[in-house]
Amino acid sequence: MSRDKASARRRLAIRAALVTAIILPLAALDASGVVVEQLNRAFTKSQVTILKGGIIRFSNVDEFDHEVYVDSPNFNYDSYEQSPGETAVVTFTDAGSFEVRCHIHPKMHMHVDVVDH
Amino acid sequence: MRILLLVCFLAGAGTGRAWAEPTLYEQLGGHDGLWRIVDRALTLYFTDPRLHDDFDNINRDWLQPRFFAYFCKVADGPCVYKGRSMAASHKGLHIDQARFNAVVEDLQRAMDDNFVPFRMQNRLLARLAPMERAIVTR
Amino acid sequence: MALVLNTLCWTVCGSALAQGSGRLLATSGISDVEGAGGGGLVPWAVVTGYGTDDQIGANLHATIAGEPDFLLTSLGAGIGFYDRIELSYAHEWLDTGHAGARLGLGQGYQFHLDVAGAKLKLFGDAVYDQDTLLPQISIGTEFKAADRHAVLDAIGAKSPDGVDFYAAATKLFLSESLLLDATLRFTKANQFGLLGFGGDRSDSYQPEFEASAALLLSRRLAVGAEVRTKPDNLGFAREGPAFDAFVAYFIDKHVSATLAFLALGPVARQGDQNGVYFSVQSGF
Repeated sequence: MSRDKASARRRLAIRAALVTAIILPLAALDASGVVVEQLNRAFTKSQVTILKGGIIRFSNVDEFDHEVYVDSPNFNYDSYEQSPGETAVVTFTDAGSFEVRCHIHPKMHMHVDVVDH
Repeated sequence: MRILLLVCFLAGAGTGRAWAEPTLYEQLGGHDGLWRIVDRALTLYFTDPRLHDDFDNINRDWLQPRFFAYFCKVADGPCVYKGRSMAASHKGLHIDQARFNAVVEDLQRAMDDNFVPFRMQNRLLARLAPMERAIVTR
Repeated sequence: MALVLNTLCWTVCGSALAQGSGRLLATSGISDVEGAGGGGLVPWAVVTGYGTDDQIGANLHATIAGEPDFLLTSLGAGIGFYDRIELSYAHEWLDTGHAGARLGLGQGYQFHLDVAGAKLKLFGDAVYDQDTLLPQISIGTEFKAADRHAVLDAIGAKSPDGVDFYAAATKLFLSESLLLDATLRFTKANQFGLLGFGGDRSDSYQPEFEASAALLLSRRLAVGAEVRTKPDNLGFAREGPAFDAFVAYFIDKHVSATLAFLALGPVARQGDQNGVYFSVQSGF
């Protein structure tokens, strides 16, 4: 009886540790928001993983306009004209996989994986 | 006679531009004519090896209406250009004189392909030439 | 031809990047008889060749003018650096033909002239500045050295060598498809320098007025006229202004040809010289 209790407690501890190890870093990401720069007609990251409800900030460090958009069945976003120096803040409210592109520069592409809590 | 003259004058005044010279926009063929020229010019830009780096990662569907609106305005057409200034829109693109001229040459070819008379071509180019100062970064 | 010129540029420029013939067709004119970029008789403010402000361009010319009593030939080259500086060289031959015999020099007696030129573009742009009346302005100089010192001395020339100084203002009025140039030259040259410099009538620098007008008929074809006034220093051989009316055809950025009616005025006592000028030019 006590051995079952001990192993159950151990399994719980392990599970708790695993959850903390995964969730805490994601939570930390979530708190500050991921920053991705638009530089030389490209995103500085090719892939980002965030929590549902998480934020990605697109910072235009080029000297010309960009226009960030996501076009998917369950989530859409368009920054419209994004001037040099401007940051577009995108909140990913839905879980799933999304392609982030630029209306002006068709070769710009970033993949976002949004995971549930 | 005087009544006839008065009627003609009023008729002219009524239309508002009976005696006005056609604008460069109208002489280039109005909306359809200018669109054909801009369309051909952009096709040349996107396939010109000298301009590969400039047009490699640009969305033609985004660029073409803006090009058209700008040329339309420059040719005194009825368009409103809501885009950036020539200096602002070309900043950071490091365009040199040779590539600016390549764009001019392709535009000349696009006008040739649309049978725009040489002297009329030069009238449009005369309005575009001062843009060199704003577009070419030294 | 383009390959040959490209190789030539590699040698001259040391880099393929500096060559690209970026300027628009016909906008650098041709090379005049003295090797300077401009019209056929008159140097313009434009820098020779098709190099843009980051490139180097060049132009070679072979010109022949057949007049009733003389044959004038000129061969030369000009290099344009970054649309800012032009250096040129030309060698001219004046073949006197029968006139040589009449002058007691001998049948087919030739005078020679070497011209080394330098031009500096000061400001303005003949092509791009379409929103102002201000022309492109350049200043230039030509160092000239004639041969036949004894003959030149005998006819009253004060020196076989001389230096010309000029300022040129050039503008392409694109909406009219018209190019205009006005050049002011200070010179003592007799017949462009072929008959020496200075003379018994005058040995001081004279301001001479030169002008060109060119109408662009198509991308490749221009017609026009030029005038070049000259000093009249020699009592022995009076001189007057030279005129030409030309047709210039630019095959591409590497080859052009110009045909003109050329009136040189009286030359070495042989009467008004009205003839034909032809030039073939090649460059990048």
